[in-house]
Amino acid sequence: MLLLFAAAWIGLSLAEKRAERHGISRDDLNNITFYGLLAFVIGGRISFILQNVAAFTKSPIGIISINPDLFDVFGALAAAFIVAFVYGQRSGMSFWHTLDALTPFFAVLAIGSGLSHLAAGTAFGKETELPWGINLWNATRHPTQIYETLASLLIFGLLWFKKHDPRPGILFLTFSALTTGLQLFIQAFRGDNTLIFSGLRQEQVIAWVALAVCFALIEYRIQKQ
Amino acid sequence: MQKSQRIILYLLILIAGASWVVISADTSGATTSGAIPAPQAGFAAPNFTLKTPDGTSYTLAELRGQAVLINLWATWCPPCRAEMPAIERMYQEYKDQGFIVLGLNMTYQDDPLKVAPFTQEYSLTFPILLDETGDVADIYQLRSLPTSLFIGRDGIIQEVIVGGPMSEALLRTRIEQILK
Repeated sequence: MLLLFAAAWIGLSLAEKRAERHGISRDDLNNITFYGLLAFVIGGRISFILQNVAAFTKSPIGIISINPDLFDVFGALAAAFIVAFVYGQRSGMSFWHTLDALTPFFAVLAIGSGLSHLAAGTAFGKETELPWGINLWNATRHPTQIYETLASLLIFGLLWFKKHDPRPGILFLTFSALTTGLQLFIQAFRGDNTLIFSGLRQEQVIAWVALAVCFALIEYRIQKQ
Repeated sequence: MQKSQRIILYLLILIAGASWVVISADTSGATTSGAIPAPQAGFAAPNFTLKTPDGTSYTLAELRGQAVLINLWATWCPPCRAEMPAIERMYQEYKDQGFIVLGLNMTYQDDPLKVAPFTQEYSLTFPILLDETGDVADIYQLRSLPTSLFIGRDGIIQEVIVGGPMSEALLRTRIEQILK
């Protein structure tokens, strides 16, 4: 959790440095991030409550409990997106320019996610006999958290030092395509996948579809120029 | 790059991606599958046998078929004390549905003489087991107190919650999941 907070802070600081290049003021960037994070926290709790109404009816004090485990990540993400979108529209911020300005924030969060997985031992790899395997959960496993962190660092470096592309949306969509491509590759080494259709990894199938959507959007943005 | 070149590139990448998904499919079903015991969600809960202060022995493997909450605690730990009343209430509410709580006192880092007064103070009725050597704490890679593990009827850990106190709502949602 602390690593994710640190990543969010570093990512926002870096995003601020480049925001004006994308036509977004620092204040607008900070505000949209603040409201988005607030909606993430509150939306995650509300979504969890709505999915467990019976439990909270019997224990209503739990609604304001400080337990971070009373949280639904998908509801939180949806709430953050909706609030940030509405704030952006009301403030006259361009959708694609804003996403480009926020790309360093997302890229550093991805690095933080890999490090937090490593610290917690989650998102662990499948068993391996390769010399760089790590001992985790009573087996020698692929260090998928390290793969994830290094690849996210590489993606961040590529995008940070890439020549500025003035076409709105391309930076964010390139980041999205690289990240989904990374997941498509790395999920093959994970030991905690959900298996569907005789062994296909559900996370890889989702990543493949997301990659196709990214390509379609990149092409759409290029054609719009 | 021309549009036609880009489209070909996209298609090549997607074909390679789809091939990778198929090649790396796990036909043996070898992802965790609960086969290896480890103190992490998705794994089989490591087995242990411990005794209560009155000498009654409990073996985790013998509780297969029941939903189990293992709560690692100590008398000196404030959040452990804070969550005990809620755990007891949940035990009373769900025990008839096949739910059991094993309260593992970390006796090796606690005062054994304080365990009985503690259970009386909180009127605890679920089994309190004594880890006098720290062996179970080692097996469960204890990092912080309290630590709670929610184990399904199949013996697979569904969730590990490090820290506390757990609220009644949290306990209720997790217990209803492991009872399914």
